[in-house]
Amino acid sequence: MAEAPSEPVKLVLYVAGETPKSLAAIRNLEKICSEHLAGKYRVEVIDLKKQPQLAREHGIVAIPTLVKALPVPIRKIIGDLSDTQKVLVHLSVEE
Amino acid sequence: MTVVSLVSALTRDELEARLYEAEETLRAIREGEIDAVVIKGGATEQVFTLEGGEQSYRTFMEAMDIGAAAFDREGQLIYANQALCTLLDRPADALSGQALLGLFDPVNQTTFRRLLTQALKERQSAEIHVRIGNADRSFLLTGTPIDFGIVSGVAITFTDISEREQSAAAKESERLARSILASANEAVIVCDRAGNVTHINAAAERICAEAPIGKSFEDAIELTFADATELMSGADIVAMAASGTPVQGLEAAVKTSSADVTDVLISAAPLIVSGDRTQGCVVTLINLSQRKAAERRQALLMGELDHRVKNTLAMVLAISARTASHVRTIEDFQKSFAGRIQALAATHTLLSNASWENLQIKDVLSVELAPYTTLSGGRITMEGLDIAVDSKTAVSLGLVFHELTTNAVKYGALSTRSGKLSVRRVGLAEDGALLIEWEERDGPLVTAPTKSGFGQTLISRSLGSGPGGGTKLEFLPTGVVCQISIPKYGHFHS
Repeated sequence: MAEAPSEPVKLVLYVAGETPKSLAAIRNLEKICSEHLAGKYRVEVIDLKKQPQLAREHGIVAIPTLVKALPVPIRKIIGDLSDTQKVLVHLSVEE
Repeated sequence: MTVVSLVSALTRDELEARLYEAEETLRAIREGEIDAVVIKGGATEQVFTLEGGEQSYRTFMEAMDIGAAAFDREGQLIYANQALCTLLDRPADALSGQALLGLFDPVNQTTFRRLLTQALKERQSAEIHVRIGNADRSFLLTGTPIDFGIVSGVAITFTDISEREQSAAAKESERLARSILASANEAVIVCDRAGNVTHINAAAERICAEAPIGKSFEDAIELTFADATELMSGADIVAMAASGTPVQGLEAAVKTSSADVTDVLISAAPLIVSGDRTQGCVVTLINLSQRKAAERRQALLMGELDHRVKNTLAMVLAISARTASHVRTIEDFQKSFAGRIQALAATHTLLSNASWENLQIKDVLSVELAPYTTLSGGRITMEGLDIAVDSKTAVSLGLVFHELTTNAVKYGALSTRSGKLSVRRVGLAEDGALLIEWEERDGPLVTAPTKSGFGQTLISRSLGSGPGGGTKLEFLPTGVVCQISIPKYGHFHS
């Protein structure tokens, strides 16, 4: 299957300050991005501790949660992103 | 809107997505992958962290003086307190994730990882070493399990033990230095800048005053410099060395209670402990006593030899002059002179073999009579002559015995087969002189010579210098009799 002209993946990671799982999610995402999505992503980290109202946009309940905002459809990955394969499947990026 | 109407308003895809999200949230909570939730309260949202007092351990750690850090189960740094940042000289963000581990070398990384793993279960300690800036630091790490609400991890404290280790190393080093000092053969004395003794080894204790530590160098050891002027003193040497000028190899006499050490070779060097600053000086003293005693003995022997050579030459000249005045022909002179010089040489050989000491009268006589004793068949007897004499007396006796023997061979008891010769100790005179008698018998009839030859003069004059010394020569018709008297003091040892 031919790949669609690459549209940058926009990811939004919702964290709650520096809780262990928030920090773990940031680290895991950095690793996945650098290893599997090099140059094809844009990441925004939103600290809901500081701006809780931003949870509304993507209806965030559990933290940490990663939202693939673009390309549609929107996908949510809940948890600390420690399962790399699962994250890649949800981001529709398969090796 | 009721739940039913909400659900009916969603498309199937949306519904599936929401269901999936709910399931995922539950799974994530169950597996401990989330630790905060957003609660909608009216128009506002609030975030609650599931570990409850999430800030509490941080607040607590921050209040600690020692370095502390929290790690998750995977060994990722969650938090490092300010004290640890200061200890490691890194800002907090430079330690995040695995960055802290990157400060360590492979060996210490292994130690650290093992500690992280073990401390998940129980309290564990380990020591790690890390280079910070230009300094090697040592830390005692203690790790204990810690719960962050729903997740667990490890809290580790970092105690800087570098100074403790350096202090232990310094103590060990000092112990080593002390044992080197103590094991040295040479006497070693260490003084501070003021010239007071601070350290001393066992060899130095033997030549120092009692309790020398704390005393000035001059009070601790009494030195006299043989080759130097009175201006030179022990304090001068110490002051020179302490000011940075080494002093090497000065000989000095030392006054001690021990007779073993009388002379020393003294050297002093500046004591530089660190940097260029002189902390005092190290004085070493090598025991020269034996060498100096040998030198003195050698000097004495040289003087003695010089004296003896001069005496001998004077004697040779006298013998030569006297012999010349009593003979008529060159042939006579050669014969007499050679005989007398040979007698002198024979006695010298004996003396030198006996190291110029403890030569016995018997030895001196035997040399002169040697050519005749083997053929004498018991005609020659010696009695009580096992008496040691000094070198001067031995030389005189040698010449006397030579003249008597020559005379006996030419005209006396040894000129015939029947003649007998007896040399014996008669006894001691009243003044303590030793009396020896040379007696010839059964030889040709003796008549006293009409004029006195040199031999006779020599015999009469020999041994006449000291009190009680001298010889008395008689030409009895039965044979020559000579009374030899050896002065007591210092000339013989009975």
